[in-house]
Amino acid sequence: MKELIIVILTLVIAPIIGGLLFGIDRRITARLQGRYGPPILQPFYDILKLLGKERIAVSRLQFVWVYSYLVFMIASLLCLVLQSDVLVLVFLLGFAGVSLVLGGFSTKSPYSHFGANRELLQIMAYEPVLLLFAVGIYAQNGTFLISEIFNQSKPLLFNLWPLFIAVLYILTIKMRKSPFDISTSHHAHQEVVKGVITEFSGPYYAMYQLAEWYELVLVLGIVALFWTNPLWVGILIALAAFLLELVIDNVAARMTAGWMVRLSWTVGLLLGIINIAYIYFTKGV
Amino acid sequence: MTDVMMAIAILLPLVAGLIIFAVRNYFLRSVIVVATALTLIVNSILTLKHGPFTYTPTGFDWGLLITILDYAILLFYIYLGVTLRNRLVLIFSFTQLIPLLYFEFIMKAHADVQPAFVVDHLAIVMTLVISIIGSLICIYALRYMYDHEQHAHVEKSRQSRFLLWLVLFLGAMNGLVFANNLLWLYFFWEVTTMCCFLLIAHDKTPLAIGNAARALWMNCIGGTAFVLAMVFLYAKHGGDALSVQAIIGGGIQGSLFLLAVALLCFTGCTKAAQMPFQSWLLGAMVAPTPVSALLHSSTMVKAGVYLVLRLAPAFAGTYLSTAITIVGAFTFFATSALAISQTTGKRVLAYSTIANLGLIIACAGINTPLSIAAAILLIIFHAISKGLLFLCAGTIEHQIWSREIEDMEGLAAKAPLTTLITVVGMLSMFLPPFGMLLGKWIAIEAAYRVPLAAVLFILASTLTIVFWTKWLGRLLQVLPKLGLPFEKLSPSYSVPLLTLVLGIFVVGIGIAPIYQNFIAAATSNVISGNQVLAAGWANIALTGTSVKAVLGYFPVWLLFVVFALGVVLPFLFVKLKPTELRPIYICGEQSGGLEGDSYLAEADTKTKIILGGYYFEDSLGEKALNPWFNTLAIILFVIMIGCGVILK
Repeated sequence: MKELIIVILTLVIAPIIGGLLFGIDRRITARLQGRYGPPILQPFYDILKLLGKERIAVSRLQFVWVYSYLVFMIASLLCLVLQSDVLVLVFLLGFAGVSLVLGGFSTKSPYSHFGANRELLQIMAYEPVLLLFAVGIYAQNGTFLISEIFNQSKPLLFNLWPLFIAVLYILTIKMRKSPFDISTSHHAHQEVVKGVITEFSGPYYAMYQLAEWYELVLVLGIVALFWTNPLWVGILIALAAFLLELVIDNVAARMTAGWMVRLSWTVGLLLGIINIAYIYFTKGV
Repeated sequence: MTDVMMAIAILLPLVAGLIIFAVRNYFLRSVIVVATALTLIVNSILTLKHGPFTYTPTGFDWGLLITILDYAILLFYIYLGVTLRNRLVLIFSFTQLIPLLYFEFIMKAHADVQPAFVVDHLAIVMTLVISIIGSLICIYALRYMYDHEQHAHVEKSRQSRFLLWLVLFLGAMNGLVFANNLLWLYFFWEVTTMCCFLLIAHDKTPLAIGNAARALWMNCIGGTAFVLAMVFLYAKHGGDALSVQAIIGGGIQGSLFLLAVALLCFTGCTKAAQMPFQSWLLGAMVAPTPVSALLHSSTMVKAGVYLVLRLAPAFAGTYLSTAITIVGAFTFFATSALAISQTTGKRVLAYSTIANLGLIIACAGINTPLSIAAAILLIIFHAISKGLLFLCAGTIEHQIWSREIEDMEGLAAKAPLTTLITVVGMLSMFLPPFGMLLGKWIAIEAAYRVPLAAVLFILASTLTIVFWTKWLGRLLQVLPKLGLPFEKLSPSYSVPLLTLVLGIFVVGIGIAPIYQNFIAAATSNVISGNQVLAAGWANIALTGTSVKAVLGYFPVWLLFVVFALGVVLPFLFVKLKPTELRPIYICGEQSGGLEGDSYLAEADTKTKIILGGYYFEDSLGEKALNPWFNTLAIILFVIMIGCGVILK
């Protein structure tokens, strides 16, 4: 029963938080660029308008993958709030990512294809780091269960700080911020039109937006896992990370996809591997 | 009862195969194949119901017959080496023949292993996989070979010959997984190698024969290691050691013992096409698709992983165990990377098979109840999904007459049913809620004991996502139009395809009860070695592998609910109206209306849009990576055999 309430609350509250954060993002970014920026509630106005639009279609399958993107994103977030297995969380998030790529591939639009291929490279860049993060949690706690993280008095950050840096790195990819806004971008720095979501429109674009809000809450929640006792410290860390990303977005230029994958597979993985190796040799199996 | 079951499992395929060979009528032949297939399936289910048993055939000197047949097969290899003028085949046939002659005539090896067959829970799992999936593939082959010969305009039909080897393969595999006597195991091992050669060479093109010869000599290297292992075991420990149960029982110790085990594992790795032996399985892709389906899903390569898994208790707790883990994990990683650059559908499937076999071998090497459970689950799920995918590849090939991924562009609009089944098969290879991912999930959980393996698993599963998604994307690319009705498939195609799709969902959703009733026992049998014989079947303790320990605290069927909500329901209920269709966005330079896929380029010339997948040939191609990967793989094998020499 308690779980059902948590599920319903998450379904309702997460998009509100996500939408507000997106509104704050647009406002702060505008200020950093010397503009005034839209109202904080603008993302909500946008999504309501999109939902009211007439449906137009380039491909039936694309609609299926948009649904699947949203559903798997929510399922992944539920894994987090119900404190389930962190590996399941990563795998569900993986399905969501694949759905978006397939949504982009489900039409013969060149822009959409560019974007989908790049989104796939983004998955290639962040997926191993997320999985290493999961193994790092296992190394530290002896289980993949998120509930166990909450039982520990010592925050994960103390022993897993290299992995924390790696997770911040993938946060940039996940939030589609420069230098990694490669498949599509929040703000208008993109040469492939709107990348993977070029062909998304009307209510289905609204569903995509909604999924992005859930995703933002999810990835910030993952950052917060590094300090769960007391949880408010973790939430503050997550918010600080969020603000940091906005600054990085505005001071960095967009990089190429190859550069992103290489950096992630060298520095990102190395941080994770060193971290896990250290725990393995100090704590044992 | 047990003697009838054994006879059906091992001898019926031989007898039925010979009858099929003699019958030249398509319809009559089909009836016999279907009847044999059904008998094998029913027999395997009866074996499951009967439970484990041991069996020694009596009334005839079977050992002598098997010895004679051993030499017959080896002489056949030598004959092939001479007629094909293939030096490698000759060399490795002799390296097998000479130690075998030494073993039987100089050492006068004499083994009266009791019992000759041990059918434990693992063997039952294997026989179910072999009989059910293998039989479905034989049914599929009926129509496939007919179409295949129609398309190639073959003058004299060779379908019955083909079906003989296909059906015989199933019997040899059943014998292989049941055998306890090492000499008999060796015999069945060689029969599968021989059938494999004959099936790959079936089309008789120079490429087919060359690749078949490669498969033969590479497997002969494995066979040589097998014979050497038997020689070492016999020399040190006598005839009693030539029994699988004795090897895994823990009773034998000694300097040559672990080396023999290492050699047997090496044999398993060659048959499972682990790097650097991957090229024989890739070459086998030239064969008609049912051969690939059979080799990859239920037979041949599964014999390799079966042997390593079976021997797990013999190397538990040694350096050899860790070395095997790294060998498998490395292959998992390397072949997943190589799969990205492949442009031919069947080669992607082949690399993916080798990768998953590597994962299974790595799980056997990790050697905990959890990892062994993962290995058995992976064997089952991989057999279903990969069997399905190869059959899909064959069906696609017979619709577009090409194996190239780029030619499959937009298949969703041409052959919706085939595409749908293929998509299910592909999703089941790498995404939740399906079984293969479940296996990987358990494997990663178990892998922390060998952190290097855990890291390789992680990298490999990421690469896996990339190559499957890329391919899926090519299939799904469509122009704005309403869907077509499903195309018609011959029942010889649709029945096996749909049965396997059903299998993916049934085994996936019901994994908890299936694990509890059936795989947990197999895991315990593997872990406990030969205590099964000493203690009796009923007295084997379940070794700490409860459903919860293996499947986690997260009910798997819930993931299927998510899948139904996210994919199945939208697929069923999202419908388009013709008025909703719009052309794609090309910056306003659209040309040719709604379904137009061209745009106005310079000077308003109408230009067709051509899209293609990414293959990263320069950075991830075989040319770029193979020298590094093969060298590393050889070093790893040397270390592995070396670990057999070092006693812990």
